[in-house]
Parts: sequence; C-alpha cells; structure tokens
Amino acid sequence: MRQTTSHNLLKNPLWLIAPAALMVGIFFLYPLGFSLYSAITLDDGSITLSHLNKAFELYSNDILFTIIIVLISVVILAVLSITIAALITLSPFRSLTKTLAFLYRLPLFIPFIVTAQMMRTFLAKNGLMNNAFVASGLLTPMDTVSFLGWSGIIITFVWKQLAFSTLLISGAMAALDDSQIRAARNLGASRLRILFQIILPQIIPTLGVAMVLSIVTMMSVLSVPLMIGTGSPTMMTADMAFRINSYGDYHVANALGLVSYCICAGLAWFYLRQNLKEKGAN
Amino acid sequence: MFTKTNIAVIAAVGLTQFSTFAYADTTLNVASAGSQNMVDYVKTYLAPKFEATHPGVKVNVVGTGPGDAGSHKIMEKLSAQNDSGLDKWDIDVAVVHQKIGGELVEDGLLAKYRSDINTGKMVSRDSAKNALGINVDGYVMPMFHSQTAIAYNSDFVTNPPTSYDELVKWTQKHPKSFGYNGIKNGMSGVSFVTGWIYAYGTDAEKLSSTPYDKNVESSWDKAFAELKEFNKNITFTPGNAGTLDMLNRGEIFMGPVWVDMFYSWKEQGKIPPSLKLSLIAPGMPGQPMYYVTPTKAAHPQLAREFIELATSPEIQANGIVKQFNWYPGIDANYVEAKLDKATWEKLFAEITPNDLSKYGKSFPIGPYFDDIKEGYERNVSN
Repeated sequence: MRQTTSHNLLKNPLWLIAPAALMVGIFFLYPLGFSLYSAITLDDGSITLSHLNKAFELYSNDILFTIIIVLISVVILAVLSITIAALITLSPFRSLTKTLAFLYRLPLFIPFIVTAQMMRTFLAKNGLMNNAFVASGLLTPMDTVSFLGWSGIIITFVWKQLAFSTLLISGAMAALDDSQIRAARNLGASRLRILFQIILPQIIPTLGVAMVLSIVTMMSVLSVPLMIGTGSPTMMTADMAFRINSYGDYHVANALGLVSYCICAGLAWFYLRQNLKEKGAN
Repeated sequence: MFTKTNIAVIAAVGLTQFSTFAYADTTLNVASAGSQNMVDYVKTYLAPKFEATHPGVKVNVVGTGPGDAGSHKIMEKLSAQNDSGLDKWDIDVAVVHQKIGGELVEDGLLAKYRSDINTGKMVSRDSAKNALGINVDGYVMPMFHSQTAIAYNSDFVTNPPTSYDELVKWTQKHPKSFGYNGIKNGMSGVSFVTGWIYAYGTDAEKLSSTPYDKNVESSWDKAFAELKEFNKNITFTPGNAGTLDMLNRGEIFMGPVWVDMFYSWKEQGKIPPSLKLSLIAPGMPGQPMYYVTPTKAAHPQLAREFIELATSPEIQANGIVKQFNWYPGIDANYVEAKLDKATWEKLFAEITPNDLSKYGKSFPIGPYFDDIKEGYERNVSN
C-alpha cells in the first residue's frame, strides 16, 4: 500500500519541481506581484492611476534619458564586442588574440560599484585620464573636459558589460563550423566579408540575447547613475531610490518600477518576435 | 549505576545551565543610521567604553545605512515588531535622523527617557524638543548637530559671498565655478535648495513650525524658476563627498558642504588649507542626530545608561567635538570645560558662534520639506 502511494507520488512529476517552483514563487513572483499591485493601488486597496501619473509628471525626462542612455550604450556595446570577438576568431596573430581574450574578461570580475568609483576618479576633469594627457603634453589643463555625466554613464556601462557580451558572442563564433570559414577563405573571401556574410548572420540570436540581457542589467544599476551621473536628468533607478529614501513613498517608486518593467518587457517582446520570425523562415 | 549516571548528567546539565546563566553576556543592541564613520564611532569608541564600565555586557552595533534611508530601516523594523505584538524588541538604542525621530515619536514607538538620565538637563538647543514641528521633548537626546555652509577656495575667491543674493551674482560672473549635488545625491544639496526657499520663498521660521498649509507651496514658483536659471551657471557634483572632491581638484571654487565633513577632510589633508567656510544669509539648515530608545527595548535600563555615557560632557568633548568636528549635542558650555582651547576654537574658526545663531537654521517640517523637494523635481529638474 505504502509502495503504491510513493509510486503514485512519483508518477506525478509535478511534485519534483515543487521545491524549486515554491522558491521562485516566494522569492520572485510574490515580490514582483506585490510591487506591481502597490504601483496601482492606494493604501486602502482601491485602484488608482495617480502613482503612475506622478511618476510621469515628475520623471518623464528621466525615463526618456534612461531609454536613450541604455540604447546608445547597447549600440556601442554591440559594435565593440563584435569587433573584439571577430578579432579573436579571425586574426592570424594567435599570441595577440590570446592576450586580448584574457584582457577583455577582466571587467567580468569587477562589481558595478567598484567600476563606478574607478570611473569617477578616471573620468573627472582633473582625473587620471586627463592628467595623463596633460602630463604627456597632448592637452593643457584648460582644455580638459569632465566626462562625469551622461557620457561617463555610457562609458561605464559599455566598459562593464563588454566582457559579458563579448564572452557570449565570441563563444558563439567559436562554436560555428570552422569548415565554412575555411571554405570561404579558399574561395578568396576577405576577413571582413567572412565576418559580415558568414559569421554574423549565424550569431544574431546570441547577439540578441547578449544585448537584451545587457539592457536589463543596465536598467537596474543604481550605483553608476548615483556616482557618475550628476544633477538632472538622471536614471530611473536613482529616482526610485530617492522616492523611497527621501519620501518613504513606495507607491511611486513601484510605479517607476512598473514603467521600467514595461520597457524591458517591450524589448523582450521585440526580441522574441524577431527570433520566432527567423525560426519560421527556416 | 544508571541512576547515578543520570543524576550526574542531570547535575552537569543543570550546572552548565546555571553557570551560563550566571555568566551570560547580556547583549545591548545598538542600531545606528548615518555614514560609516558614525557607525565606527559607536562601535570602536562608545561600545568599548561602555563595556569597560559594565562587565558582562556586550554591545552589538549595527549600521543601517546613510541618510534618511538608514533611519527609515530602523523605523520599518520597529513598527513591524510593534505590529506583530512582540513583548521585547531587538533594538535597545537607536541613532536616527531628525525627521524620522519625530515620526517615531508620533507613532508611539519611543520611550520617554530624558528625565531618567543625568545628562538630560544639559540639553539646551531647541532641536531636543522640536523635530521639524513635532514635539519630541523627553524622547530624544541629540548626539551632535551638523551644519551646512558654503566652502570656497580662498586662493581664488577673496570676497566670499555672505548671502544668497551675492552668491547668485558671483555665479553669474564665474559660470560653472559653483557646484552642488542637486537633491538626489546627498543632503548638502538638499540643504542648499532649502536655504534657497528660505531666501526667496518663505522664511525659515514659518516653514519650521506647524501648522502646515498646503497653499504656501504655490508662492514658490518664482523661487524655483530663478533656481532653474541659477542651475544653468553651475556645475553639478556627484554627492557630498563629490563636492569636496571637486573643490580639492580645483574643478569648482565654491560649493555647499557639511561642516563636520569639511573639517575632517581638512584634518586628514584631503583638501587644501586654502579652503574656507562661509555661512550665508538668510541661513542654511543643519540637523541633529538623536539617541533614542524604543518603548519595548529588551534592556531599557542599560539603554539609558548607554545614552547617558554617550551624552556625558567628556564623551561629547573627546568623541564628538575632537574626533569628528561636530557641534555637541548637549549645551556647549558643559563641553567647553573639557576641551583644550585650540580644539574649541577650531570648531568656530570660520563660522563664529554668532553666525551660527543667526544663520544656522533647522530643516522645515516634514510636509513643507516634501513640498520643497517635489517642487524642485517638478519645476527645476524636469
């Protein structure tokens, strides 16, 4: 009898995922649901749009700023990581590419907050970078420009995410069938042509994953806009932190969270649609 | 045989129980909001002193983070423990900011203890009774007072501004040379903006006292519009420390800073001696940090003794004033006697006691304060 019970229990495989599903439910879905709920309700539980209104009224500039910063970063990120990955895959100088392969991985091990602090001393008007230019005679102290601000945020994001996306992309490139590249080379194709016509079309899905994940990461970073961004506009994470720290106002902070969730969801939808189209075409 | 073993075991277990009870370390839980230097002060300076005079007591210090956010965490924890109906709460002493101190009293989460301790009567400043319009008399002991002021590089600025009007003129002549951190990157910027409203919106006396009137905010449109104009001539800095950093690197020549942070950095050689302070008219706000003890602290008596030690004239002199360049929480007359003349004068070198009494304002009451910050977000930064 007992055996049949345990047999029955195992027969229903849903039980096997129960612990993991419970974890996801308690630690991810419940808080997510709760903050979405809090974004659209008053304290007494009635539904309202006032928090979202306030979020747009006060922070519409910042929302736009966030989107622009993230998009610019992601475009630069794509160009740079494809370049590095292509160099590693196609360059004939093996020892050089090995050094490059080691170097580009470094930012992977440095947390965002450390990166932000590094960049803060590096990019400032009289920071390490400008001082190096001045010392080498390329600039005078009067010509130096501070990169603290929107440009600094983009530089930090790109520098930090470069390792991650290059790792994914060069991995995808390495996984391609080598014979295609050799065949193209035998027929006289240049390296650039091999990159654009043979390699890139095949790694588009991986590129998409790297970019979407990078966007979601950049949308969620607080330390960089706080430490490098100055004044206004600022990124949405800084606004959320400010709503909570300064006003104790979780509703509007959650409303901002809802907006940033929608932005990410929009990108994810776009990416999935592209992905499905490609699969359908094959 | 077995009975004997049993008795021995029971006796042994009983003895360990008894002995652990007799020698048990009582743990006094202290939660401190504020920057790391404040947590370090409680942990490395106050706690050993208290443990030395109270054998068997261990002080457990937890930092909850800088700014109002750190105080918020303490409040959230206390009200959660209150809501769940616990008999004993696990915070005995808390160090909180002025705004949250008032809210804690309003929510009935704090014990009225000031008359129980000897140092209670040494307090003279208004902030011990009034926290942004909320009556906190008896519930709080100021740990120290902190003040914001305008720091300037005396090598380049020979005639520092003495009022907001002069400052505005100065920035028109020297664009981008004045820097502050907006309102999202630190309290020195918030304080500067609050001072701006005191100067061009509504005076400090009205905004720092109740009752609240929602209509007052509508008269600030011009002040915010002028601030937006002012912001075009200045540099934004990334935070309180960021302002001092930029002053140090010569990227700006003037900016609002916390007085204690300024003097500490100066002492450590992180900013040049040519930097000086000026407290401008009609005034800039400062704030105290409070020592409080929750209504249901597990060790109420120890908590009172701890606060009594922390606010004694010796500790205030050597810890608060000498180490941190903060203005003392208790009446300065009690502290002056315990300090050497040089240290005392350093504290009032550039901002005289007279300046402090004329231009040292407090922050506005909670609702006005929120109006100022939201007004800034709505009219200046958006």
